[in-house]
Parts: sequence; C-alpha cells; structure tokens
Amino acid sequence: MAALPAAPAPVGPKPGGIFRLAFGTDPPTLDPAQASDTTSSSVIRQIFDALLELDERLEVRGAVAERWAVSADQRVYTFHLRRGVGFQNGRELGASDVKYSFERAARGKRPWVFEKIMGAREFIRGRASDITGIRTVGERTVEITLERPFAPFAYLMAYDAASIVPREEVARRGATFASHPVGTGAFRLGEWRHDDQLVLERFPRHFRGVPLLERIVFRIIPAEITRFNEFRTGNLDVADIPTGYCRRVQSDPRTSEEVAIWPTLGTSAVRFNVERPPFDDRRIRQAIAHAVDPRVAVNGLLEGCVSAPRGILPPAMPGFNERVRPLAFDPALSRQLLASAGYPGGRGLPRIAYYYNTTELNQRIAELLQAELREIGVRLELRRLDWAAHIKLVDDGTAGFFRQGWIADYPDPENFLTVLFHSRNIGPAGNTSRYRNPAVDRLLDEADAMPAGPARFERYREAEQVILDDAVWVSLYHYSSRALIRRYVRGLERSPLSSAPEFLAPFRKVWLDR
Amino acid sequence: MTFVRPLAQRFLALGPVLFGITLLVFALNAVALGDPARAALGQRADPEVLRQLRHEYALDRPLVVQYATWIGRLLHGDLGRSYRQQRPVTEVIADRLPATVRLAVAATLVSVVLGMGAGALAAVRPGSGLDHALMGAAVLGISTPVFWLGMMLALVFAVSLDWLPVSGYGGGDLAHLVLPALTLGALHTGTVARMTRGSLLDVVRLDYIQTARAKGVAEWVVLGKHALRNALIPVVTVIGIGLADLLVGAPLTETVFAWPGLGRMLVAAVGERDLPVVMGAVLVFAVVYVVGNLLVDLAYLVIDPRTRASE
Repeated sequence: MAALPAAPAPVGPKPGGIFRLAFGTDPPTLDPAQASDTTSSSVIRQIFDALLELDERLEVRGAVAERWAVSADQRVYTFHLRRGVGFQNGRELGASDVKYSFERAARGKRPWVFEKIMGAREFIRGRASDITGIRTVGERTVEITLERPFAPFAYLMAYDAASIVPREEVARRGATFASHPVGTGAFRLGEWRHDDQLVLERFPRHFRGVPLLERIVFRIIPAEITRFNEFRTGNLDVADIPTGYCRRVQSDPRTSEEVAIWPTLGTSAVRFNVERPPFDDRRIRQAIAHAVDPRVAVNGLLEGCVSAPRGILPPAMPGFNERVRPLAFDPALSRQLLASAGYPGGRGLPRIAYYYNTTELNQRIAELLQAELREIGVRLELRRLDWAAHIKLVDDGTAGFFRQGWIADYPDPENFLTVLFHSRNIGPAGNTSRYRNPAVDRLLDEADAMPAGPARFERYREAEQVILDDAVWVSLYHYSSRALIRRYVRGLERSPLSSAPEFLAPFRKVWLDR
Repeated sequence: MTFVRPLAQRFLALGPVLFGITLLVFALNAVALGDPARAALGQRADPEVLRQLRHEYALDRPLVVQYATWIGRLLHGDLGRSYRQQRPVTEVIADRLPATVRLAVAATLVSVVLGMGAGALAAVRPGSGLDHALMGAAVLGISTPVFWLGMMLALVFAVSLDWLPVSGYGGGDLAHLVLPALTLGALHTGTVARMTRGSLLDVVRLDYIQTARAKGVAEWVVLGKHALRNALIPVVTVIGIGLADLLVGAPLTETVFAWPGLGRMLVAAVGERDLPVVMGAVLVFAVVYVVGNLLVDLAYLVIDPRTRASE
C-alpha cells in the first residue's frame, strides 16, 4: 500500500473556511436512533456527541463524559458528565438525557448497541418500561450495569447510535426530528436540500470551544466519476478514488500528493451456507477455498490498493494474530478434496450458483472466481442482484455461495467473530453461513466475557483458526480507505474504522491551511 | 366547443390508465425479491426489530389490503410515508419535482429548437453535404448512450475548458442546467431532426406548395409559412412520444450531473424497496406522460383543422 503523503510543517490552526465533501447518497435520516447507514452516521457524528469517542489510534477518549470508571467485576461503568455541555437549543445536558437517549435508541434500528446492558433485552422486546441497568445518580453521573462483563463496552458508548438527544426537541418534532436534529455537537444543521447538498454550520457554544471550520458542505453526488471530476476542478476538498483509478491517481503528478490510503478494519469475502448441499460437506468448501488465489484480485482488480487476506480479522484489528493461517491457494489439493467428496474433476457436481450484489468490482470478482473454479472442474453460475434482493436471499438461506464483506463497528474481534459466526446470530443478525460449532460458540462466549488482554485475544485466535479450517468464510482481501485529500486540509483523522475520511473523522479538529 | 368532447373523452380515459399503472407497479414490487424492512436495516439486522419494522410498514398485511389502503389514501391526496426517509411521499416528491420539470422543459426546448432547426436546414437542400452532415449527427445523437455523452460533455466543457459547472443544481443557476439539458435533449434531438426533414420533404412535394412556388412566393415563405405548419403534425407526435425518452433518460442524466430530480430518486427508491416513494414517483411520471400525450392530441386539433372536423 502507498504511504500517506508527508504534510508540510503545521503553522497552527486557522479558523474559518468552508470544508467541501461529497456523499454518494442523501442521508436517509439524521436521527441517531433511526440511522443504519454510514452516510447518516457521518453527519450525526458532527451534530451529536456521545459519552465517549474514539480517536484515529482507536483509543477511547471522553466526550460528554469527562471521566469514567469500571468496577472490579467489569460490570458497572460509572460516567461523570462534564459541566456546561449545552444542547444546540440552549439547554444544558444532564444525566437524565443520557438515560432517555439510550432507551429511545434501544428501540430504534440498532438495538445491539445497548443489548449488553442489564434489562435491555426485556425493554427492547417491550417487556419492561425502562432499562434497569441504566441509573442516574444526581445531575451529572450515569451508572450503567451490564448483564455480564463485556470488554468492548466502552467502544459502544462511543458509537453514534449512543448519541445524546434532548427529550423536549424529540417530543416537539416527532418524526421530523430526523430532518431537524438538535444535539450538542460542534456543528448544527444549516440547510438540507435533499439529493443536492447538506450544510452544517459551526456551533459556537460547543463545550470544547468554537470549532475552526465555519461551515461544512456535503454535496450529494451519486456517480463516483463525477465526484472525481469535482475534485479535479477544485470544487471538493476530499473525494473518494473511483474504481480502477487507484494506480492512475498515484502516478498522476496532479493528484499523487493528494492520495491517502490507509488500512480499514474490514474484510471482503465469499461465504457458504453450510446447511445447503453441497456446502454441508466441508471438503467441498475447502476445495473451493484452496482454488481461490486472492493475489489475482488484490494485485489485478484492486491495483494493489488493498491488503492480501491474512485471515478473517484484518491486520489493523486489535487482537489480530500473525499465527492465524487461512487456507492457502493450492489447486492440486482442491482437486484431491473434490475427488474425496465424490466429485473427481468436478464430475457429478451440479453447477453452483454464486450470488453477489451489483457493483462493477463485484462483477469482476465474480468472473474471476468463475475462471478460477473452472480450473478445478467446478462450474459457477453468476447471480447478480441488487442489494435488497441479495441480502434477502443471503438472510433466508437461499444463497449457498455468496459475497459478503464486513467492516467492524468497533475495534474488537467480537464484532467480527461473534457477530458473524456464533450460532445465536444465525440469519440477518450476522451468521449468514448458518454455522453451528459448539466448540467455536464456547470459545467466543468465553472470550466475549473476559477482561481485555492477551488471554482474551488468544481465545479469538483459536476460534478464528477453527472457522478458517472449516472453510465457512474465504477472505478475498482486507479493505483500505482510499481518498483524495487536498494538501491544505489539516486535522482530518484517518480512522481505520471508516472506509472514507468523511464517515468518522470529527470535523471539529479540521482546519484549512490556505 | 369543438374541443370539449374529445378533451372530455381523453380525460375520462386517464383514470383507468393510471389505475392500471399503479396496480402493475404494485404487483411488480410484490413479486420482486427483497424486503423493504430488511433493506432499511443495513447489513446487521436484529430479528425483533425486523419484525417490528415489517409491522410498522404494514408489510405483514395481505397484499390486497396493502394496495387497497394505498388507493384509499391516494383518493384523499395522501401518498403515504417514505419507509427510508420517514417523511410524507408528497413532500419527498415536491422537493425533487421542480428540478425535474426544469430539466425536462430545458431538454425539450433543446430537442425542439435544435431538432427542428437542423431538420429544416437539411430539408432545404436534400442530398447536399449539409443534409448528410446534419442527418449523420442526428443518428449519432440517437445512438449515443446518455451516461457516456454526459460524462464526455462534463469532461470537455467542465473539466478541460472550465466553461460550465461539473454537476449539481447550483441553487437554480442557469449555468448548471446547460450540460444536463444538452445531454438529455440530445437523446431526442436526432429523432425530431429526422422527422422534421422527412415531413417537410413530403409536404413540399404536394400540389399546393408547387402552386405557391409557381405563383412566385418567396422560398422562405413557402417553407416557413405554408409547408412547416403541415409538416409539424408528425413532428408534434414525435415530441409527444419523446416525453417517454425524457423520462427514461432522466435518471441517468440526473445521476451523471448530480441533479436532484425525480428520476434519480425513483431509481434509489427501487433499490431500497421504498415502495411508497416508488408508487408515488411512478404515478407522477405516468400522469406527466398521459397528460403530455393529451396535450399533443390537443395540439393536433389546433394545428390541423381536419382533425377537429373528424372528431
């Protein structure tokens, strides 16, 4: 991967200026409880604050919470709120706002952010009137008790679903709160012309001081080539790199110094539904895994701008272990495995349907897989569908062999391995392979409840190796963020949790050196 | 009063046509793969939330009830709420309609002015180099994919020459309209040019034109006054049919130029299975198309008195 361009020595933050970016789609909502997509989340993060936040090194920092403490049994988190945190409507934030916001969001679109809290599951299912594990102590202290210890819980408190909202504004606006959001964030909504542009203006009374940028303009530009052209003509300060342009922008002297590529906590893969013949036979899955050469996709289709697969967890993930071994490219072994499963040279094996959602890259990868599997005698039939149809067939188990990618919501192996492979998550909750392995479940359950540290990561490593050996998931590559960033843009964090800088970076830190 | 009866007949036909279209679109959505509730939840969906959302969207009710409810609301002017945006569909459409109307009107002007101009020029000297060049350009215009043409125009006039904006609505600034209108208009300009030329050439061979020429009437008067009016009848038909081309081309043009119109919104809504928005947008497109064709019929009545007589 290319190194980040060296920035000139800083001269000190300059206030003012308009920061111009683009999204591919209009954010569906600006309500933290209703969002389920990265575009909405990226705007929500600027308008609202949560108790905590993550920096670009993935370290947890206080946001609305000034400090916090964890009990000896790792179950009770006590958050002490800052004084003088004001909502954009002028009212000061208090502990009861936290309880209200969490309970509201727990019944929203991302309840999993709160389900580790004691009493949350009952509340989410409508069997309790509040979440008993959230308790306010005075005006500025919130105590959260978990069902059982969960090491990554602090990350969840930094998630945008856990943003704090003012009750009176939600009550006043009702459903239109989604388009008239009020938070405590460094920026507030200025103007929103749907499908055209969304403007944020700085909130001068933000508890961290006046933000440097005067305004942020998100243009809504669906075609990646148009976003690229807008960047080239100087109308955007940040843009993504269009598919197939990665080498070109690195070698073009007009853009080479503005290219930024960094690893992301995500993996692109193909998966099997292990309940569906012939993939209920481990040998067939292993035969396919050994026939796929990820180097072709990484160096050819993706121009070397992503990393070759090292397992399920991406190398930038805390807990990533060098000792994990994915099944290696070995066509001879593939043929042996096929023969031992009763299909020598692929004879007698029915044509296999491969499902993927519509993008140009996915199409090219599907064709590559088709060619690679033809070498061992496996015939692939390509089934290209739009996202809604694809996810339906994947969720309901119709798809036996399919594309799936995953970018971590927070930097912990639990968010990959437990979500994607624990038997309690079969179906839309994440385990679309419908994989049931009691040994893996046990390892994951143990690891999830252990305190942070090497012993916990070792449990995840064991589980990951079993899953890889079972060929439930075949990694194709680890994602990277690829962006064009003007050299005068300063303070833009490059979080490994994000596939683009606009999605996670706190813009209150950004300033324009021009 | 001659217009009243044919107009009334056509208006009466609108109802069943629009009803049929909504039924067809609803049925297509019902058989299409994909669940609106699942599509709204991103990659990781909690089964309980999925069930609640399906209930909230009334997707757990029989299809007949869903459709009847939609029709019932429609009769009260309510198109429902967008699943994805959680806003009334009328509001969602009203946000985008001005941009689409603006683009459609501009593209129609482009195709009518350029198409009729080129067609008339070509008809003046049939078989000449100019005729061949114009008709060659017309065929090129018809066969060039909208997406490609849009990208090329943007590259040349916005990126390389820096004469016009690359994309966006620009708050209604005319400069932002030029490239999208040329792109969308080009689709139909060629057809209008070819029809104008052919129609003019047919008319100029008729006896009354020969008579006018024999009487010494100036050629521009013969073509501009006597021939063009009669030649317009098939051209108007083509312009009317061209509305369909505009509707087909709008999503692509709006995507290339980030134009905040209905076409792009409809394509996104189909992908997200946002059924109320899909139904609402298709209804608007259908009304525009049907009313557009009604206006074409009316134009016949104005242009050609014989049509009035036959009615």
